[in-house]
This record gives sequence, C-alpha cells and structure tokens, in this order.
Amino acid sequence: MNINKILVRIIALLLFFPILFMVFLSLSGAWPWPFLMPKSISLRGYLYVFNPSTKILKILINSILLSLIVTFITIAISLPAANALAFYDFKGKNIIKVLLFLPLIVPMIAVTMGIHLIFIRLGIVNTYLGVILIHVIPGIPYGVKILLNVFELKGNKIELQAKILGASTWQVLRYITIPIIMPTLVVAGSVIYIISFTQYFITFLIGGGKIITYSIILFPFAESGDRTILSALSVIFVISVLAIIYLSEKLVKKIYKNYI
Amino acid sequence: MFKKSILYVLLCLGMFLNLGCLKDKSEVDISSKNWDEILKLASGTKVTFYGWGGDENINRWIDEVVAKDIKQKYNITLERVPMLPNEFLPKLLNEKQLGSEGVIDIVWINGENFFNAKNQGLLYGPFAYKLPNFNKYVDKNSSDVLYDFGYPVEGFEAPYGKAQLVLIGDTAKLDYLPKNHKELLEIAKKYPGKITYPDASDFTGSAFIRNIIYDVVGYEALKDIKPNKEDVKKAIKPALDFLVELKPYLWRQGKAYPSTLAQLDNMFSDGEVYITMNYTPYHVLTKINEGDFSKTAKAFIFNKGTISNTHFLAIPFNAPNKAGALVVINHLLSPSIQAQKYNPKTWGDLPVISSNLLNEEEKKLFENVNLGKEAIPQDVLVKHSIPEMRAELIPIIESLWREVVLADE
Repeated sequence: MNINKILVRIIALLLFFPILFMVFLSLSGAWPWPFLMPKSISLRGYLYVFNPSTKILKILINSILLSLIVTFITIAISLPAANALAFYDFKGKNIIKVLLFLPLIVPMIAVTMGIHLIFIRLGIVNTYLGVILIHVIPGIPYGVKILLNVFELKGNKIELQAKILGASTWQVLRYITIPIIMPTLVVAGSVIYIISFTQYFITFLIGGGKIITYSIILFPFAESGDRTILSALSVIFVISVLAIIYLSEKLVKKIYKNYI
Repeated sequence: MFKKSILYVLLCLGMFLNLGCLKDKSEVDISSKNWDEILKLASGTKVTFYGWGGDENINRWIDEVVAKDIKQKYNITLERVPMLPNEFLPKLLNEKQLGSEGVIDIVWINGENFFNAKNQGLLYGPFAYKLPNFNKYVDKNSSDVLYDFGYPVEGFEAPYGKAQLVLIGDTAKLDYLPKNHKELLEIAKKYPGKITYPDASDFTGSAFIRNIIYDVVGYEALKDIKPNKEDVKKAIKPALDFLVELKPYLWRQGKAYPSTLAQLDNMFSDGEVYITMNYTPYHVLTKINEGDFSKTAKAFIFNKGTISNTHFLAIPFNAPNKAGALVVINHLLSPSIQAQKYNPKTWGDLPVISSNLLNEEEKKLFENVNLGKEAIPQDVLVKHSIPEMRAELIPIIESLWREVVLADE
C-alpha cells in the first residue's frame, strides 16, 4: 500500500515536472546555469501572446474549433470502420488492417504534396474545408486502432441480443454501442484532437497561410529557440488542450448518467 | 454490383480530377504601368507577406509599425504570415505545375531558396528596377545587390537587409576573443569542452564552417572552383584538417554538435559554452537587453573578416496582388524603414541602402541609432565582410564536413 503510494507520487512528479519547468521558463527573464531559480521574472512571453496585434488568442480559438470539427469527422469515419473490421469477415481484411497504418508509415509531407495538387484542382486549397480534410487523415489510424481494440474486447453479443429483440441499427448504436464504448471514444477523440492541433507542415501547405492555426505561430519560435515565448505559447497550448479534454469528459459523464 | 459501382465512381472522380482544368483569371498586367498607376492599383488592397516568424521583435515591428505606416500612406492592409524558412517552395512548385493562382504576395528569401525558386520559374520579375526607392537609394553595382550567394539576381528580388556573421564570446569567462582560426584553436585547448559550433545542417553552423574555410584557405581559392566534390575537397583540405584538429577540444569532444543555433544560444546563456555566433550582427544587444545573455557577452569577428550576405524580398509568379507587393517592397527600402530596422531595439539588421546616396537628413536617421559598446560598428563590419560563396558549393561543403569532420574517428 505504502510503496504503491510512493510510486504514484514519483510518477506524478515525473509527469508534472516538465510542465512545471515550462511554466517557470515562460515567466523567467534570465535563467543561467547553475541557478536553481530564475534570476529575474519577466512577463515578456505572456505580453507577446496576449498582445492584440499578434492575434494569437483569436487564432487559438479558431484552432480549437477546427480541431474539434476534425475530431468529430474522424470519429464518424473511424467508428463504422472499426466496427466492420472487428465483426465482419471479408476478403483482404488483414491487408486493410495494415493499410490503415499507411498515414503513419508514409511521411505525411510526401502524401500532402500529392493531395495539395488534387486540392488545387478541386479548389479547396487555402480553405477551411481543405485543412479539415487533410487533418482527418493522420487521425484515422489512431481512431480506428483504438476503437478496434475495444470492439474486439467487448464483442458484439449484446448488440446481437438487442437486434434479436427487434432494435433497429440506429437504436443499437445509440442505446448500446456508444454508451459502452464511450470512455474509449473520449480517449480516441482526445488523441485525434491533439494530433490535429499539432499539425504544422500540412496545415501550412493546404491552408496556405490563409488558415492560421496555433501550431503555425508556435513552430517558428521552436525553431528560433526563444525559450520564454516558446514556453508561454506552450503553456497556453497545454492549458487549452487540458481544458478541452476535461470539458469533453464532463459532458460525456453527464450524457452517460442519463443512460444508466 | 455494389463494388463495381464504387469502382466506377472512383474512376469518374479520378478522370474529373485529372481533366478538370483551371479557369485562367485574367489579371491586370502591371509590367507596362508607371509608378503612379501602380500606386493607384494598389490602394485599398491587401498584401500578404510570408516570412520567417521566429523573432518576437521583428514580428511586432512588422505588425505594429510597418503595417500601420503602409495603411496610412498607401491604404494597403499588410498581413504577415509566419513560416519556417523553406516551407513555401513546395507550395509554389505545386501551384506552378497546375498554373493556379497563389496567396503569397511577398516572400522573404535568399540563397539556395532563391536559386531554386528562380531556376524553376517560381518568381515574378524582373521588378526591382521599377521601384523608385531601389533606383534612388540602392547601389545597383555593388556585388551584394547584384548577386545572392553568387547567383545573379537580375531584378527578381529586391534587397531587404544585410547580415554578417559575428561570433559572440563571454568576456567574463574568456581571456581574450580569438582573432583568427589559430587563436580559436588555442582558446579551445585552454577551455576544453567549452567551445563548439552548430551542425552543418544549421544555417549559421554551415556559415561558420565556410568562414573557417575562408580563414584557412582564403576566399579566392573557392571563387572559380567547379562544383564537384573532388575539386572542392582538394581546395578546402587544409580547412577540413583544421576542423579535425579542433575537434577533440570541442564540447563533447566534437562527437556531437548542437543541431541548431537556437540550441547553441541556449547553451551559451546557460554558461555551458563560452562562444556562440549570429548572422544578425546586433543580435547580441537584443539578447542582452532581454536578459538572455549576460552583460559580459561581446560580439567579435576574425581579422580576415566574416561572411556577409544580403536577404531579399521576392514576388511569386502567381502573387494575387503584384501592384500592392511592389508598393510595400518599395516602402521597405525607404530610409526611415531601413533606419528603424537598423536599430538593435527593433531588429539590428544592416541597411541595404547606400549611405552616399542619402541626403543629410536621411543620414541623420542612421546616425541617431544607438548601437552600444557590445556591438561592432557598421564601418568595421563592412571593412571585414567577405561575400558568400556560390549557393551550389554549399551542399558539397556540408556533405564534406559530415564525411571528414563529423564521421572521422
């Protein structure tokens, strides 16, 4: 019991230390080695982030909306795909299972270069729609894989039971499948959200600088090594992601209660 | 049945995608227009400016000062889009392939990127000779305006600013600042593990290596050399040998190098190394002001000089608002903007306009900029500047560094 508690604390410390360190960095003016504490405190990072002329907050809200839409679309595609892979037998099923991981194996940059050409032809380059579509691609392997695991674990006996008793496909989905897999759905959604939120190159290429997301602002600072501003931007980044995940869990729990 | 129909749909879609051609938007041809007509065309439009966005001060200056100026003077809305240095090239290449309209009006560019972009016809031009401020203030015959990394500019880009490599040392920790490569080796021997330079894949790291080559074998040795590995290797052999000799005294015995200048800068602020470097000569002042570098940091250069280059502004072939782009670039070449840019509090970038072409009032703008004692005065820098070598030699040198210096056991 005691050892467990200590272990939990150590792990928690290891997890939180980098974030805490980042918070310190974002508020520090100069912090040379070997000082344990920053030598001076500076709000430079946050002043830049909250300065209206940089439009960073507006871009953040825009990014959150974009990634939420991407998450819903990706889940809507992954859910039936995972269901089919788990419960139906068809020719080439194993090949499809492997192919699903292509977006993770083939570099997204190469894929996006090709898709960019097609999007130009379709006229959806430099638009919201284009960026949403391109963001769905790297999310799908995670979405399908996570949901596939839970489908394979839980089986579909309960669903079959309901069908035998006369439930429609929609009713089965709404009253049985989704409530059962809800916790996994939240996990998958969070992963997809974060993946979409952190895309840099594909957003730049397809969005063409017309659609500016938070990552587009953040990456040049990561490259230039301005630790104070980079940390300030990252702190806001982490807070926004945590807030979205927290809110979605709250929301899900509320909906969940109505079923049980 | 079902499967077949899907196949047909996919096939049709594919055909549609490949056959679907783009409508050619008839665009106003501005090449025959005079400056007043261009000003009129540009008024009330929006100009999108794509450039490296990793510096808070530059970003803020463009957003708050330049954009406001341009709005007031020319009624043009300037929108800055941040990017990493190379990202726009694949985008323009794809757009070129299909001949589609672009979104970029102005792009901040130089060196290899310009070489590639111009070679592949991705740039609009020549346009520089159209700009009144270019004709009035820029010395058109100076080699740093005529050539960009040895590649003829031919008016396809207009100069924006000049950079010169400077080394930055911590005077509190070093006895003296090295004046040539031999003294650098002595310093490294004296403070083993406290000196290093960024990897050749880093822009500044690569420039530092070229600077060492200049210092060891001289600029002339590389001027007319053929861009093949054997010839280059023969010419720079003494410099490579020197870097190998230096290696064991470097940080981590030279087995690893900081992958970016940013990393080296941070190691320098942390006191892990005693020397860093920068392409913006007055960057050290900004860093001291921000509290990142200690007040004892000081910029220095080698007696034989350091590499300098010009960075430019170009207009993509498919820029939607070429007239607006011309007006904005012209404004960026004005003495007031160049003087603001020269101020280390704003940026600390060297001006591209020539001081003998300015009147007294305009000269004052530059004289009023307070540089501070940690910086090297501009006339000293100019005297010690060596031109960049040809862009095609750079990848060869980088790969030779990797083979001979990095991989050497």
